[in-house]
Amino acid sequence: MFGEIRFPGQHDDEQVILFLRRHWFVFFVNLLSVLALIAGLILIYVLFTLLSKNLSDTAYFNLLLFGESLGALFAWNLFFILWLDFYLDAWIVTNERVINIDQKGFFNREISELKLTKIQDVTSEIVGVIPTLFNYGDIFVQTAGEVERFKFVQIPNPNEVKNIIVQLQEKERKSEEQELGEAIRGKL
Amino acid sequence: MSSIIIGFYVLIVLILLAFGAAIVFHLLYYRINRHVSGVMSLIYIIGAALLLISNFVLFMQVDWNKLLGNFKI
Repeated sequence: MFGEIRFPGQHDDEQVILFLRRHWFVFFVNLLSVLALIAGLILIYVLFTLLSKNLSDTAYFNLLLFGESLGALFAWNLFFILWLDFYLDAWIVTNERVINIDQKGFFNREISELKLTKIQDVTSEIVGVIPTLFNYGDIFVQTAGEVERFKFVQIPNPNEVKNIIVQLQEKERKSEEQELGEAIRGKL
Repeated sequence: MSSIIIGFYVLIVLILLAFGAAIVFHLLYYRINRHVSGVMSLIYIIGAALLLISNFVLFMQVDWNKLLGNFKI
């Protein structure tokens, strides 16, 4: 299912179980600034052409078109900057660990990881009307002995994701205990 | 054409090109899904190139001397 996905430091036998990004609605809300910019450009053009009937015969018409074109270029870049911010923020759950890839602007990128066996507590949280309607929210992963929590931000189906992480953590813990038991029995 | 206008326009184009280079770099270097990154880079480059070329054509069509002639200091 996630065969196309490759992330830095991926082990050969590591399987991607979940690949998560923020909910599409969060991206849509950010996209409203681009849509507002495009609407503004259209509005300016319509207003100027309506207010001045002979605008197309004057030198200002080309200036207006040039300004509109510059605005369109700015909107194009803004859309891709917002999309990159959405696209490059990701949370990956594999059969071994949880990885958080956090892109903050152009030149700040954080990648943190957490082994499934280190997980002590997983909490999901959906707060607000819109998150409840669209079923998105946060997940907090608490590790043993650490104050800071691993946080999945505004991801879709947080309750389902939480259950999957808990199941994987249980499975990994049991497998580790079994390996340890076998090692001890082997020594004895 | 006023050299100040040309200077400003070159500066704007350089800033846009720098942003474009940063966007393409991030799309290709930090890619998670090769297919998505490739398609989005192509869309961005084609769209940005078309917009930049049309913007340059429109810049050349503006009669800057006539426009700036109205602003006498």
